[in-house]
Amino acid sequence: MSKLKMLSKINIRDNIIRYFSFSTLIILLIFFSSQHVNFLGTANLRTLLSDSAPLLIMAAGMTSVLLLGSIDLSMGSVCSVANVITVMIINQFAPRGASPGLAAIIALVASIAFGAASGLLLGTVHVKFKVPSFIASLGFMSMWQSAALLITPAPVSIARVMRDSVEWYRVVFGVAGLPLILAMGWVAVVFAFQKKLALGRAIYAIGGNERAARIAGLSVDRTKITVFAVNGVCAALGGFFLAAKLRSSAPTVGDPFTLLIVASVALGGTSLIGGRGGVLGTVLGVFTVAVIENGMNFIGVDPYWQSIVFGLFILAAVAISIDRSARGLVVK
Amino acid sequence: MSGQTVGANCVRPNTIQNERKLIFSAKDIHKHYGATHALKGAGIDIREGEIIGLVGENGAGKSTLLKIIIGAEEPSSGSLTMHGKLYSPRNPMDANRAGVGMVFQEQSLIVSLTVGQNLFFGHEREFSKFRVINWKKLYKEAASALADVGAGGINPRKKVSDLNFATRQMIEIAKVINVTKGASGEKCLILLDEPTSVLSEHETRNLFEQMKKIAAKGHAVVFVSHRLDEVLEITDRVYVYKDGEGVGDLLTPEATESKLYEMMVGRTASGEYYQVNRQREAQEEIMLEVKDLGLSGVFKHVSFQLRRGEILGVCGVVGSGKEELCEVICGDEKPTSGEMYIKGKKVVFSSPAHGLREKVIMIPKERLAQGIIRTLSIEDNIAISSLKILSRNKFVTVKSVRKQALEWISRLRIKTRGPRELLMRLSGGNQQKVVFSRALASKCDILVLNHPTRGVDVGAKEEIYTLIRGMVTEGKAVILLGDTLDECIGMSSRVIVMKDGLVTGEFAAPPDGKPGQVDVVSLMM
Repeated sequence: MSKLKMLSKINIRDNIIRYFSFSTLIILLIFFSSQHVNFLGTANLRTLLSDSAPLLIMAAGMTSVLLLGSIDLSMGSVCSVANVITVMIINQFAPRGASPGLAAIIALVASIAFGAASGLLLGTVHVKFKVPSFIASLGFMSMWQSAALLITPAPVSIARVMRDSVEWYRVVFGVAGLPLILAMGWVAVVFAFQKKLALGRAIYAIGGNERAARIAGLSVDRTKITVFAVNGVCAALGGFFLAAKLRSSAPTVGDPFTLLIVASVALGGTSLIGGRGGVLGTVLGVFTVAVIENGMNFIGVDPYWQSIVFGLFILAAVAISIDRSARGLVVK
Repeated sequence: MSGQTVGANCVRPNTIQNERKLIFSAKDIHKHYGATHALKGAGIDIREGEIIGLVGENGAGKSTLLKIIIGAEEPSSGSLTMHGKLYSPRNPMDANRAGVGMVFQEQSLIVSLTVGQNLFFGHEREFSKFRVINWKKLYKEAASALADVGAGGINPRKKVSDLNFATRQMIEIAKVINVTKGASGEKCLILLDEPTSVLSEHETRNLFEQMKKIAAKGHAVVFVSHRLDEVLEITDRVYVYKDGEGVGDLLTPEATESKLYEMMVGRTASGEYYQVNRQREAQEEIMLEVKDLGLSGVFKHVSFQLRRGEILGVCGVVGSGKEELCEVICGDEKPTSGEMYIKGKKVVFSSPAHGLREKVIMIPKERLAQGIIRTLSIEDNIAISSLKILSRNKFVTVKSVRKQALEWISRLRIKTRGPRELLMRLSGGNQQKVVFSRALASKCDILVLNHPTRGVDVGAKEEIYTLIRGMVTEGKAVILLGDTLDECIGMSSRVIVMKDGLVTGEFAAPPDGKPGQVDVVSLMM
C-alpha cells in the first residue's frame, strides 16, 4: 500500500515537471495578451521568436551539462568573448574589401574554436583536478569576463561595409526568422547527440549514478570533457548570433544570459542533480523565459524588476521538480 | 599508553555467574531489511561484571543485534530489558542515557573536530553557561577521561584527522566509557564491535586491561571480534551466531577455537542447491593471471590463475582485502604492485572502461549504490555496458537497445511490464537480473561477481546460480565472492582464502570433494 502511494507520488511529481513549463507558458500567453491586444500580433511574435534564438542554442548546450549533474557558470562570459571576437574579425576585413560572407565564416570558425577550447579546458580542470564544476566554471567566468573587456573595452559596431555579413539574421519566413530555424536545427543536433550517440546515452547514465556508470565500463571522464567542450561551442554560437542580432559587440553582452540559461533548462524540467530531462523540455523552457522577458517589456515592467521575477521562477521550478523523497539525499 | 595492571588480577569465578544480577536481556528479536531476514529470534542475557564474546560469520547478525541494542536500528519485533525495565532506545543518545554505549565498527568520530569536542559531542551543555561553552573546563575533563582509559598521552585539543586509527579507537572507547559512566549510578553496558582490528598488539593489550577494569567495577562488556584467540582470552562467556540466530552460548573455559568454528559455520546446503552436477572441469586456457598483486595498505602478494570455464571463489571476512581485489581486477583501482595478464597479455587498467575493452566486467556488491541507475529504464540500464557493440558508426538506435533488452528479459525471465519501465520499480532479484543482463550483454568473458545474490529472495538466488553455471559452461571465467561461505564453496571449482590482505590458503573444490566450511573458516579468522 505504502509502495503504491510512493509510486503515485512519483507519478504526480513527474507530471508536474513535465507540464510545468507548458502550463506556465499558456498561462503567461493568456495573461500578457489580456494585458495588451498586440502581444500575439505578428510583429511581436516575430521579435519574440528571433530574440530567443541565442538563448535556445546556449540552453541546449547547458542541458547536457545539467544532465551530468554539473553546471557551467562560464557560459555567459564565453558568449561575450565569442561576441567580441566575431565583431573584431569581421571589422578586420573591412579595409581590405573582403567579402562579408567570407569574413562571417572566418569569424564563426574562430568563435567555435575558442568555445571548444574553453570548454575542453574547463572540462579537463573539472575532471582531472577534481575541481567541482561550480567552482571551476566560476573561475573561468571571471577570466573570460576580463578577457572580453581586454579585447574590446567598449561596444563596437560592425563597419557599415561589412553589414552584409550579419544580414542573414533578419531573413524571415512568416513569423519564424532564419535565426530561429538555425537554432532549432542546432537543437535537433543536440537532441541526436543526447539520444542517439553512444556518448550521449552515457550522459544520462552518469547523471543518474556516476559510480554505477563507471563500474559498468562507461568512459566517465571522456564523456564529461566532451560535454563541456560541446557546451563551450554552444556558448560561442550564442555570442556569434548576438553579434548578428545587435550588429555590434559588447564585452558584457553574455553576462545576463547565465541566469536565463539555467532558468530555461530548469523550467524545461531537467533535474539540476542530473539524470533526468532533455533538450525538448528546454525548448519549452526557453520560450517560457522569452515570453516572460518579452511580455514584461511589452507591458512596461521596469527592467530592474525583471531579474527578481527570473530569480523567483528558478527557485520555483527547482523546488517543485527536485526529488526530496530519496533517502540520504545530500544537497550541497 | 603505559600498561596498567589495575584490576588485572580480578577473579570472576564462573560458579557465581548465575547469582550475578542481570543487566540486560533481549528476547526473540527479529529484524527484517526488505526481503532479508537479518535476525530470526535472537536472544542474549548479560550479567553484571561480565565480558561477553559475540562471534559468527559475516552476515550472522552480530552487528545488527548490536545496532538494535544501541538504538541505531529498531527491531521488527521482540523485547529488550535493561536493569529489569523495558528498554526501547530510539537513538544512540537514548541508549547512552540508559547506560549503554558502543564503539561502532565504522569510525564514528567527526574527524574535523578536536578530540575533546568529539568526546563530549552532544553533551556540550554540561560545560555551558548561557549557551557559551567553557572550553577550558571541557578540555580538562577530556584529558582526565582519556587518562581513565590509559590514553593520557593524547592531547585533547588535537584534531582527530591528525591522529592514526589506533589512537582514534582509544578515543572512541574513552568517549563511550565516559558517556555511559556519567549517565547513571547504575551499572553500564559497553558494546565493542571489532575494536581490535585496527589496533597493534600493544594497544590491544592495553584495551584488554581497560575492559577488565570496567568489568571489575561491575559494568558489562560485549566484545565482537573475528579473532577467536582474543575472544577466548578476554571473555567470560561466548555467544555464537549463525544466519541470524543464536546457536548457543558457552563459558569461555569450556570453549576452544575448533568448537567455535563448528558452531559458527552454516548449514551446508545440498549439492543440488548449487547445481554441483553442472560443475565442469576448468579448460586449459588461462584467461587471467595475477602475479604478486598488491594495493598499498589493503592487500599484497596475491597470485592466482583463472582458467576458462572456472569459477574461482574468494573467501574472507570483511576487511580481508577481497573486495578491493575485485576493484583492482575490474580496473576501478590501480594496483600499487604486481602484474595482471589477460590471456597472456600484460595489462594495466586505467579505468573499468579500459577493463571492459579487455572483456573484464564486475557485478558490484552494493546494487543500489553501484549497480543500478535509478533514473534509467530497464533497457537503458542493460545497454550501458554494450553501447559499443550496439552502435553503428557511433550511433545507437532505440530499436537495437529495445531488441537487446527484450531478449534478456525473456532469457533471464525478468518480471517487468516492459523494457521501458524504470529499473527502480522492480524487486531486488529482478534488479539483479538486469545487472546480470548488462554484464552478459557486454560479451565480456571474465566476470567478477561480488556478492551476486546479496539481497535477493530464494527463488531469484536459484535462478542466479543457474545463470552462473550457464556462463561458465559457455566458456566464461568467473571470480566469485559469495554472499555466504557455503555458497562460495558450493559454486566454485576452486577457492582461495584471504585474511588481513594475504592469501592464507587455497582449496580445490571438485564436485565430489568440496572443502569443509570449518577448514576454510579457520584460515579466514
